Formats: sequence, C-alpha cells, structure tokens
Amino acid sequence: MPEVLRAERLTVRFGGVTAVDHVDLKLADRDILGLIGPNGAGKTTLFNALTGFVRPDEGTVFMFGREVTHLAPFQRARDGMGRTFQTDRPFEELTVLENVLIPTFLKHPSRRSAEHIARGVLDEVGLSDRADQPAMDLNLARRRRLELARALAIEPRILFLDEIMAGLNPPALREMIAFVRKLREKGLAILMVEHIMEAIIELCDHVIVLANGEKIAEGAPQQVVADSRVVEAYLGTD
Amino acid sequence: MNTNLFGLALLLVIGLAYPFVLPGYLTVGITMLLFIGWATSWDILGGWAGQVSLGHSFFVGLGAYFVALGQSRYGLAPWWSIMLAILAAAALAYVWGRITFGLRGPYFALSTIAFAEIFRLIAINEKWLTGGATGVFIASLPEPFGIDLFSRWTQYYLALAFALITVGIVALISTRRFGYQLRAVREDENSAMASGIDPTAVKLKAFMLSGALTAVGGGIYGIFLSFLEPHVLFYLLLSVQIALTAIIGGRGTVWGPAAGAVLLILSGEVFRTTFAQANLLIYGMLILAIVLFLPRGILGEVSRRLVRRRYARSAKS
Amino acid sequence: MADLIPFLQNIANGLLIGGVYALIGVGLTLIFGVMRTINFAHGEFVVLGMYAAIVFNQALGWDPYFSLVVALPVGFLAGVLIQRVILATIVDAPEESSLLATLGLSLIIANSLLLIFGGEPKSVLVPYASSTISLGGGVNLSIVLLLAGIATVVAIGGLHLLLNRTEIGRAIRGTAENRLGAELVGINTKRIHAVVFGIGMMLAVAAGVALIPLLFASPTTTGTVFTLKAFVVTVLGGLGNIGAAIGGGLLLGVVEVLGASYLTSEYRDAYGLVAFILVLLFRPEGLFGRSVQRV
Repeated sequence: MPEVLRAERLTVRFGGVTAVDHVDLKLADRDILGLIGPNGAGKTTLFNALTGFVRPDEGTVFMFGREVTHLAPFQRARDGMGRTFQTDRPFEELTVLENVLIPTFLKHPSRRSAEHIARGVLDEVGLSDRADQPAMDLNLARRRRLELARALAIEPRILFLDEIMAGLNPPALREMIAFVRKLREKGLAILMVEHIMEAIIELCDHVIVLANGEKIAEGAPQQVVADSRVVEAYLGTD
Repeated sequence: MNTNLFGLALLLVIGLAYPFVLPGYLTVGITMLLFIGWATSWDILGGWAGQVSLGHSFFVGLGAYFVALGQSRYGLAPWWSIMLAILAAAALAYVWGRITFGLRGPYFALSTIAFAEIFRLIAINEKWLTGGATGVFIASLPEPFGIDLFSRWTQYYLALAFALITVGIVALISTRRFGYQLRAVREDENSAMASGIDPTAVKLKAFMLSGALTAVGGGIYGIFLSFLEPHVLFYLLLSVQIALTAIIGGRGTVWGPAAGAVLLILSGEVFRTTFAQANLLIYGMLILAIVLFLPRGILGEVSRRLVRRRYARSAKS
Repeated sequence: MADLIPFLQNIANGLLIGGVYALIGVGLTLIFGVMRTINFAHGEFVVLGMYAAIVFNQALGWDPYFSLVVALPVGFLAGVLIQRVILATIVDAPEESSLLATLGLSLIIANSLLLIFGGEPKSVLVPYASSTISLGGGVNLSIVLLLAGIATVVAIGGLHLLLNRTEIGRAIRGTAENRLGAELVGINTKRIHAVVFGIGMMLAVAAGVALIPLLFASPTTTGTVFTLKAFVVTVLGGLGNIGAAIGGGLLLGVVEVLGASYLTSEYRDAYGLVAFILVLLFRPEGLFGRSVQRV
C-alpha cells in the first residue's frame, strides 16, 4: 500500500528541551495510525511538526512522496492535509454553515457550489439542524463535530485528528468512533493523537508510543498496550 | 444580499434627492459621502481583515495629489490620474503591508502612524515632488460632456458614486470567498491556515484594495479642495477620524462604517453650530463609549443580535 | 578644536532635553510594563501639565515649578480615577481596546482644552528664560534647561527609590513580572494598576511643566507630537524597560539636537520615526528589552 506520510528523524527543540527526539513514522494509505503517550511526551509537538505549525530542527517530512518539511500549513492543506485542533477552534462569531463554507471554498471558489457542498458535509456529521447557529453557542459534542466537518470540507487525503475524542460522554464517543471508522472506508488515511484507549484499540491498525520525545514502542494496539515499557512510561518508574 | 441591494437602492435614492432638498448643505453632504466611502474602504483592512490602520490619510493624500499634480503639471485629466493613483496606492500598500504584517495588532497600528508621518514629512519638504508646504493649486479642470468639475453639484455626485461603489464592493465581498477568507484570518489565523488560506496573501489583498479605494476618494477630495496643502491631507487626525468612523459604526459589517459616517458628520455639524470648534470631542466620547459598552460598534452589536434571533426563529420552525 | 565647543553645547542641550523625554517615556513604559496598556493619551497628559502651569502662571503669577505642588497630586488622582473608571473595565480585552480607549481619551482631553482655552499657542514666560550658567570652556547651559534636567533627575531618582526600596514598589514590580502570580501572593493588582497609572500621569505632568518655558503649547497638536516622541523613546528602548526608556529618551534628545544642527532640520523627526519602524520590525523588544511576542 502506498505511503502517504513519512517522517524521518524528526526533531524539535524548544530552548534547552528536546520535545521530539529523532522520531520515525510511516502512514500508509487507508491506514489509521494512533499516537499515544503520557502527558508531556511530545505528542502535540510532533503533531504540529507533521502538520506544519511548528518548525522541526532536524529531520524530514514527506507527504504523498513530496518533501514538505518546511512547507507552510496552508500549502499542506491545499495538498490534501486536513487537521483538527485540540482546543476546538471554530470561527466563533460565524455560523456553523459559514464555518464549514470557509474550508469548502478551497476546492470550490463559487459561493453557490461551495454552499451546496458545505451543507452536504454538515449532513454527514449531523449538524444540519444547527447550520445557522453561531459557533460559539454550540455544546462540546457539537463543537467537536464542527471541528471534524471543517477538516473534512477541504476534501483531505490525510486527516490529522488531535484528541478528537476528549471529553465526549459515552454515547457521543461511540458515535465519533463509528464516524472515524466510516471515514477510513471512504479512502482517508488517518493519524490520531489520543488518550482514550477505547478509541485507539477499536480504530487503529498501528500505534506509536511517545515518551519524553522518543518513540519507545510501535505495533498493533493490543501488542503495544501490553508492552511493559509502555506501561512503565504511563505509570512512571520509581 | 437582498438587504444590501435594498440598502444600496435606498442610498442611491436619498443621495440623488439630497441636493434638491438641501441645496445649501452640499458641502456637508459631500463630506458625509466621502467619509462613507473612506470608512468603508478602511474597514476592508481594519474590520474585515482585522488590521487597524491609523495611517490611511496617506492614501487620501496620494489620490488628491495625483489629481492635482496630474492636472497642473502634466495636463492629465482627473480620471487618468485617479487610475494611476489606484495603481500607485496598490503598489505602495503591497510593499508597506509586506514589511509590517508580521506585527501584532497595536504594533501594526503604531507602525502605520509612523509610516504616514514619514510620508507627511516627505510631502512637506520635497518641493520637486509635491510642491512642498506651499501646496498645489488646481487652476483648471477638463469639462467632460460639458460638466463643470468645479461645481459643488458635480463633486457631490462624484462623492455619491464613490460611496455607492465602495459599499457595493464590500457588499459583494461579504458573500463571496474573499469576504470569508478575510473573516477567517481575522478570527483565527491558525484555523484559517488549516483551511488552506494564506493569511499574508489575504491581508495584502485587503490592504491593496483598501488603499486603492481610499485613494479614489482622495482624488475626488482633491477636486473638491482645489488647493492642496500637505498638512491638511497627510494628517494623522484624518487617519484617526476615518478609523474611528468605521469602528464606531461597526467593523466588519457592510453598513457599519456608513452608519458611523452619517452619525459622526451629522453630530459634528450640530456640535459645530453650538460650539464652533472641537467637534472631534464627539469622536473621543463615542469611541470610549463603544470600547466600554459596544465593542463591536453600533451596527456590529445589532448584527450579532440579529444573527442569534434569526437562528432562534429557524430553530423553532 | 573650535568645533568641539558647539558640539559639547549640543550634547549638553540634547541630554537635558532628552531627560524630559525620558520622563515622558518612563511614564509610558511603566504603564505598559505593569498593565500592558498602550497609553495613547500620554502626550495629552504632558499637555495637561503645560496648561496647568500656564493657568497658575496667568492667574496667580506662579513659576511653573511651583505649580507642581498642585499639579502633581491632582495629576496622580486624575490618573487613578481614569484608570479605575475607564481602563479597569477593559483590562482583559484585546490590547487594541486600550489603544482605542486611550485614543478616545486623548481626543477628549485635547478638544476640551481647545474649547476652554482656544486654539492660539500659549507659553509661560519666566524671568530667567534667557539666563544661562557657564560651565567653563565656552559651554553655557540655559537655566531653564538646567532646571528641567534637575527635575528629571529628582523625578527618576524618586521613582527608582519607590520601585526598589518600598513595599508598594515591590508590589508594582511583582505585578509587572506576572500579574497572576502577584495576585496569588496577595497583591491587590487592581489597586496597583490604578497607582501606576497615577504615577505615569504624574511623570507626564511634571514633564509638561518642565517643558512649557521652552515652547508653545497648542491644545490639539502638541499632545500628538509628544505621544509620538514617547512611543519612539519607549519602543527603541523596549516597552516595559525603564532603564532603557531613560536611555532612549536621552538618545532621542541628543539625536534631535545634533540632527537639527548638522543635518537637514526638516527631517529631524523622520530619523526617529524610521528608527522606530526598524526596531518594531526587527527587535520589537527594543534595543535592550526582553521579548515581546510576535505573530
């Protein structure tokens, strides 16, 4: 299966701290890769380096075979990279529909066709009834769906999900898991940073574990979760 | 879009009728229309893109001087001069924006003040460029189709056209991709980037459009004044007035700046007849009131409430 | 060697005038450092000091420095009041709001002065206006400038003592470092903000009093001139950095005087502005300051 994302020896330093330490990573088409690790492990930094919001100090990132290491995020978005933000960042003052319109405009410059397609995306995520509501008035579960809708609206080929399951109550969680699974069936490759193990185990084909900026384990979810090094990293050693 | 079309039609009708109803107040009308146009143009950068500029009088002066110098030195008719002014304004806005867009909000505003001040000093001192502090006089103007450009009536209709065009452009932008890109960049640059928008490119486009339109108004203003002095045109206070007009009226809305212009020019006139000077006091008091109580400006707050009410109504049905 | 004397003269004058600029800049930078507020009305505060001196001089025949007795405490109280009533409400709003609010304030002050006093430029004529003191070697110092210099030293010295040797000074420095941290330690940051704004206004008023014998005050233009100068001074040195504001003020004074003497005088102000823009772009933390966040 073709590789859609590859990172080699990716390293990010902040001042004296090495937040991401020579991490290698591969994502194949229609794969779901999970990125887990204890708090402060460097997951978000790695995530941001992969998506272009943070400059790596060393290493390279390839997307669809092209090197994108220093490419601006908006350029990557145009090439097919969609991402969500951990602290959901909709355009608060705009309505739900307008929020989805904006990324839709990327591939559909005309207002009429963009609106038509945006409404379709809203249907998919189940937000059609809220189309005219200001984004700032949505509850958490809906904000999360809006976040996802905006990432999908640019018609990505890779989807980067940043803790998209966080804070969802059990029914909403189940819905989200089912939804992500459906996305893969549609032909998306997905990289997800997660803390919710249920989602990781159900969705991911492969998992990478990060601790102190280093990759300490890699493999199928069941394997990795049972790996003693991983358990240690989460519980801490005495 | 329908509301906007209605508003434009209304503005057109009232605008056309005004000189017949109040022929003695043409100058006030011209000032009001110019400010509608300037504030609306400013707002493309300051409200929609969210970059507050306090140096826009530069573009006013640019337009005015192009027309005046074009006429008096090169015999160039105003419409050609204005077209050149548009190009010059866009080019300068591009360079200016390129240099300063890395700066955050208030620092960007400070840099615009400094830039405009430098241009003012150049205008005052470089006689070969601008005629220096003594100014430029427009002695004669062409008469297209026999129209007298020095007549207040003609200038009024030019100003009316300016106001209609600027508001029309913003109304058009508001529903299309560019308008949404502007709002996205203003709200959250990172989110905008994730949606495939290049914030710098969008801000530059906004700056160029804003500057070019302001310069058009400046050209009309130049015809209106017929005698130009640098300190009147490249004037910090004019920049401040334009910015405050848009902010008080409501940034990021189609009609906010226009409403601000009507309110401020009218109350300025009333104030002037009672106090004879210091009508800028009103600007000061209003902006303070806006910042404290109505941060989105008058129409900004109104539009926010309307959006909520529209949703509430559709949710019930 | 003959050129050295006028040069020294210029340096001396530049430093003395620069001292007053430093006073203005320090007030502005103090306000920014503690409250993150960009005070656009600072120049108008200076003008208020000028008009206070003018009023007391015309009505009671007071020397400008004497009017400080009234102007300073009133200035402090006015500053506290303004901060409490207006700025405290927007302390958590985006920085742009404080710029707009203080811009509004500057318009209100300037135009109120215009209404009250009319537009003709005014000044204060002191009996010692043309007197000088000789420093030897042909260098003469104007008494007016000298007094301004002394006032600056006293004011800044006083501020230094306040910030470093008093309880409240420590509270101020704490709030500037880290507002949240200061509150956790029990400092009433709201009161500190009001006090600091009052101090800033006091310094501006003092500068106005020191300057009025040297120039004519015009209600609507003088304020802008000094606000701009204050910004140039503080940005060059780094917003929030008091020592650098002093350095920046002195530098500006010297550059202006030297620039006027040896280069085309019309562009005197432009040099400062260009430097200002360059610093904003490349070293927003100023030539000496700590980091300011950029986009």
